[in-house]
Amino acid sequence: MIEPVALKDFFITFFSAALIIMAGASYALLFAWSKVNTNPRIKIAAYFSYLVLLVAVVLLTKAANFSGYWLTLSGVMVVGYFFAPIGIWYLCVKTHAVSDTQQATLEDK
Amino acid sequence: MNAKELCEGSRANYANFITWVALDRSNLSAGRQLSVNYFIVAVILFFAQLLFGMIAATQFIFPNFLYDWLDFSVNRMVHINAMIVWMLYGFIGCVYWLLEEESGTDIVGLKLGKLAFWVLTGAVTIVVLVYLLIQTGAGKDSSLWLINEGREYIEAPRWADIGIVIVMLIFFYNVVATFSKGKWSGIAGVLTLDLVALAGLYVAGMFYMTNITHEQFWWWWVIHLWVEATWEVLVGVIMAWSLMKLLGVRRQIVTTWLYIEVALMFGSGILGLGHHYFWIGTPEYWLTIGGFFSALEPIPLVAMVVHAMYDAGSHSFKNSNHPAVAWIIAQAFGNFFGAGVWGFMHTLPQINMFTHGTQWSASHGHLAFFGAYATINIAFFYLAIQHWRGDVWMNSDTANAWRWKWALGLLNAGVVGMTVALLIAGYEQSFIERAVEGSTWGGYFSAQNHPSFQSAMVWRWFFGLMTFSGLILLIWDLLTIGKGETRKAQEIVEH
Repeated sequence: MIEPVALKDFFITFFSAALIIMAGASYALLFAWSKVNTNPRIKIAAYFSYLVLLVAVVLLTKAANFSGYWLTLSGVMVVGYFFAPIGIWYLCVKTHAVSDTQQATLEDK
Repeated sequence: MNAKELCEGSRANYANFITWVALDRSNLSAGRQLSVNYFIVAVILFFAQLLFGMIAATQFIFPNFLYDWLDFSVNRMVHINAMIVWMLYGFIGCVYWLLEEESGTDIVGLKLGKLAFWVLTGAVTIVVLVYLLIQTGAGKDSSLWLINEGREYIEAPRWADIGIVIVMLIFFYNVVATFSKGKWSGIAGVLTLDLVALAGLYVAGMFYMTNITHEQFWWWWVIHLWVEATWEVLVGVIMAWSLMKLLGVRRQIVTTWLYIEVALMFGSGILGLGHHYFWIGTPEYWLTIGGFFSALEPIPLVAMVVHAMYDAGSHSFKNSNHPAVAWIIAQAFGNFFGAGVWGFMHTLPQINMFTHGTQWSASHGHLAFFGAYATINIAFFYLAIQHWRGDVWMNSDTANAWRWKWALGLLNAGVVGMTVALLIAGYEQSFIERAVEGSTWGGYFSAQNHPSFQSAMVWRWFFGLMTFSGLILLIWDLLTIGKGETRKAQEIVEH
């Protein structure tokens, strides 16, 4: 069952939903950057972005009146947006590593 | 001036124009000549899309403008139909462009492909003329077959629907037969499977059901599974091939990521379309499915961000076509903001019940269509024109490079401006018309006459004009870029 957003929460609903995507992408970008640049500030900035995402998820959960199984969505966003960039980075390294090895073998030949 | 003189004058003007553009078709293979035919019609329809969009935008401010002569309903219909068709033309052109190189052989059934092009172009011309010449009248079985099917966004009459499916099947034959004669690849496999869906899903929009909910259920298959799912995969294929040619990215990498994109699309995109099943009488579980999977839809975009950063950190790319790469970068941002941010802002049912079908949807639609699809087509136009000129140098220091840079800036700034203006109008509309006044007629008029809605429409017109100016500059640039250039394009080494 869904409970519609209250009039007073219109803006915060739009804003927090947009912020989830923006902060999620910002976290992903900074997380990936921290992997190619050793500056520790980048990693801190990445976690700060994730913190913003957490706050945005809490705001959206309240504004959109999530209850019951809808709370699972909040959980999925919190967990999913944290691990997705890590998993995708792992995929990048693996997919490129295979082709890098093949390229090196070809060059050796 | 009599008809004969008019005819001769037109012929002379056309000959002068051909001399002025100085494009040599002998630089292109037979398959690529067919491809550029599709691109030419795509650009003409892009122009029509913006022209009718501007007229419709003017009618929002001056409702009597062209009233009873060219009504808003017709302008809006041509505006949206032209957009869908020009993008489809662009995608077909892109596939014909890459087909010979990817398969390593000439296109099989090229004559049939050429015939299909002329049949499709003739049909599109007739359909648009009928839209414009027969704007009102009784809705009968004959009007459904000959004039207008009456379904929003896919108004083409039934005869044209059948023609579109036949042309898609010929296109499918060209692609499959060519890969079968030449060689198959991961890109070829994904493309072929996607074309099955492209031709097949359109059929879902060609039958009626008496129950309006059932009717809408299938109608959304064409609008969203066709446009969002099959087009997204098609863009993935085109993007993968472009990245190999423009940046020298290795085939294995683009193919692997193409598979990942398809997997993510199946994992989140298809069920994410559940957000279009809200409020049409479908069972309540669609609210949950649509809401949950819509929240997962931005994950491919997050993947793109991480991958772009990985590549930027690991390789220093050179590219041979700066305008095309600039448009691919615009695609990444436009897709992320238009589909990701603007989509998720109003996709959960708790808020979507107020925003669905307001100018908010139009705001999302403008940025998402431009960002995800128009940009990749324009990138490919530049790739094609480079080869049409004889594979010439096309970097930032090319003569008159300001044109492509300004066209890029005007088109993007114009669309972003329209998006923000429509967002303001949509916010006001969903607030006043839907939430405060409960979707009543009174609420509709209160919202339409509200000062913030009306000023937003003026701003939309202004940014629409900016977009239109950008398109005119883009067409000028496409016709002239690389003219007189003698340097050959930079050779791209695979990374």
